[in-house]
Amino acid sequence: MKFKHMLGLLSAAAMSLALTSGALAQQTVKIGAIFPFSGNAASAGNHAKAAIEVAMDIINNDHPELGDFPLAKGAGLPGLGGAKVEVVFADNQGSPATGQNQALRLITEEKVVALTGAYQSGVTLTVSQITEKYGIPLVNGESVAAGLTERGFKWFFRTTPVASDFARDYYDFLTDMKAAGAKVDSVALVHDNTEYGTSVANTITAAFKAKGMANIIDVAYPANATDIQSQVLQLKEKKPDVVIMITYTSDAILFAKTMQAQDYKPPMLLADDAGYSDPSFLKAAGNISVGAFNRSSWSVGKPGSPTAIIAKMYKDKSGDEMDDTAGRQMTGFLVLMEAINRAGSTDPAKIQAALKATDLKPDQLVLGYKGVKFDEKGQNILASGFIIQLQDGQNYVAVWPKATAEKPPVMPYKGW
Amino acid sequence: MRRAIWLSVALALVIAYPLLFSTPFQQRLGALVLLYAIAASAWNIVGGYAGQVSVGHVVFFGCGAYAAMAVYHHLQLSPLVGIPVGIVVAVGIAAVIGVPTLRLSGHYFSMATIAVAELARLIVINIEFLGAAVGLSGPPVPRNVFDVSFISALPYYYLFLIILIITLGITWWMTESRMGFYLRAIRDSERAARSLGAPASRTKLYAFMLSAGFTSVAGALYAMMFGFVDPESGLGILLSVKMLIMAALGGAGLLFGPLVGAAILVPLEEISNNWLGGKGAGLTFVLYGAIIVLIARFQPGGLLELVYRLVAKFRKAPEEVAAQGDKRAP
Repeated sequence: MKFKHMLGLLSAAAMSLALTSGALAQQTVKIGAIFPFSGNAASAGNHAKAAIEVAMDIINNDHPELGDFPLAKGAGLPGLGGAKVEVVFADNQGSPATGQNQALRLITEEKVVALTGAYQSGVTLTVSQITEKYGIPLVNGESVAAGLTERGFKWFFRTTPVASDFARDYYDFLTDMKAAGAKVDSVALVHDNTEYGTSVANTITAAFKAKGMANIIDVAYPANATDIQSQVLQLKEKKPDVVIMITYTSDAILFAKTMQAQDYKPPMLLADDAGYSDPSFLKAAGNISVGAFNRSSWSVGKPGSPTAIIAKMYKDKSGDEMDDTAGRQMTGFLVLMEAINRAGSTDPAKIQAALKATDLKPDQLVLGYKGVKFDEKGQNILASGFIIQLQDGQNYVAVWPKATAEKPPVMPYKGW
Repeated sequence: MRRAIWLSVALALVIAYPLLFSTPFQQRLGALVLLYAIAASAWNIVGGYAGQVSVGHVVFFGCGAYAAMAVYHHLQLSPLVGIPVGIVVAVGIAAVIGVPTLRLSGHYFSMATIAVAELARLIVINIEFLGAAVGLSGPPVPRNVFDVSFISALPYYYLFLIILIITLGITWWMTESRMGFYLRAIRDSERAARSLGAPASRTKLYAFMLSAGFTSVAGALYAMMFGFVDPESGLGILLSVKMLIMAALGGAGLLFGPLVGAAILVPLEEISNNWLGGKGAGLTFVLYGAIIVLIARFQPGGLLELVYRLVAKFRKAPEEVAAQGDKRAP
């Protein structure tokens, strides 16, 4: 008899424990994050994880030094009574199928209220099919395939600029440079034959032609090339005023070295992020690419500014300098959290409504976007970038637009 | 008779699985096991029974996957229409590449099939019609049931189960036919089989084409379930290797070998990824690789072969061992 009483008491205790832990669980907001932690892009995935962990630190702990940066003041999400954010990370292994399986698991087993990710455009596509079917918001900060926001999805939001935004930035930059006296009448687009290379080149060509810039030379080459002599010769012959490089790291290094070997310097060299932003490019070919312009949405800003403090937090966490990609992932996640906070609820429909009403200003962002505001397709219409220049062969400085420039642009391209 | 009882018990369990394990993830896991079992069983026809180790089967998988997505993308038809299209293309490609490559023996055949698969991937990357490097996606929102796009994994599970039963049924019928005997003879010694009048080249080609057709169906089902195919996911060489490993793990050349292999490897991969994937250290593949190494070292004939051997030993019925023995992998 006594034993039975004990048992009863014990189970009552167990039940109350279960109840309290249930109550505690309500005070955390669970978000799923799908990134490649294995496979070709594992390094990008781990940097994304560090970026999101820094963002979690900003939200969950009090950071008065960040001033009015969203969610920095006080611990947790004020809109949800100081609830902490918890992120469940999942590995997509670079596979669209694995990404989709993990999205399903995060939604149905981990009960996350929203998702972020999934880096590769193809994986983001299959993940978004699951979030759409289950009615869970997915905020993507980094996948640039144009088609992602063309499917009429209601639960997919993208904060990153896409190829058409870059094309507009390049056009505006070149127009400003022309006004300053540079010749920008003929443009050569050097690009590889991957999805990235061809889609960006096609978008730039279409955008430039629409604005009446008809003299465009297309120079395609196979990705991971071993020899690009003929492409450089082609450039040498056609003498374009501007060469736009749309290349990954190893090809970018090869181009820089081949240009030096053939003593070819275009008057202006403008790179489309990617290879030219990679620290290993700067180490291998930075000193023979002096004066190269590049695109980035990340700029470290003045010492003591929120971006500089966040950059330091990121470096302490990951061991690497903060870059454009990590910044874009952090932005996607922070935009999602700001919306959840504003919604004051973890109900997916309320989060979706809050995302639709998002209107963030440039000083509320990690990156140099003009703001965050989604159109009916879920694309951020205020996404944009800076133009940066490799003036000393080691570090990029922001040179355009004027409002955020650290130094004026230097012409012509110096090379080595 | 006893075999029939065991089979019906197993079938009943398979049919009941998604009702017993009913969370969405468990149901999806079940559907994935069946999907990969279809692909591995298709590979088994030529890789297991005929002993021609193809590492290029992903080409046929890609035919099905691309056909299903292309008929939707270009013609707005149900992806189901892509299944016959994929079969025709896959069987055609199998005939064209089978004639020269099946003349090669042993690892030279494997190498040639790898080359074909990589070639196919590189070609597709440059074909705009097939979405080039970006890939093709299926219906974003299902228009009707024929778009085969469901929230629950249950419809996929039973659809895949029916196709798997058809695949295994035809494989069984083939093994019991003249062709099956020819194939086993060729596997054991092609020269001896030829000298006894077995039409080796033709038989191998037929097996290759049959295998290609079923692999293509698996590809089409894959694309319907995930709603997307790109050169890496539809034509990546790792997928061929997966089919091969599943068949070898369960027992290549045994009817249910690939199913057993898929039933072990798919959950292993998914569950280890659930546990370890988020840690960011890529531990999933370490575990996955370790298990494959252990099996290759201690049970190279496949797990099902071990089961058959233990059952036979338990029953002490030597004729049973002999009956299973001739279906054993080389």
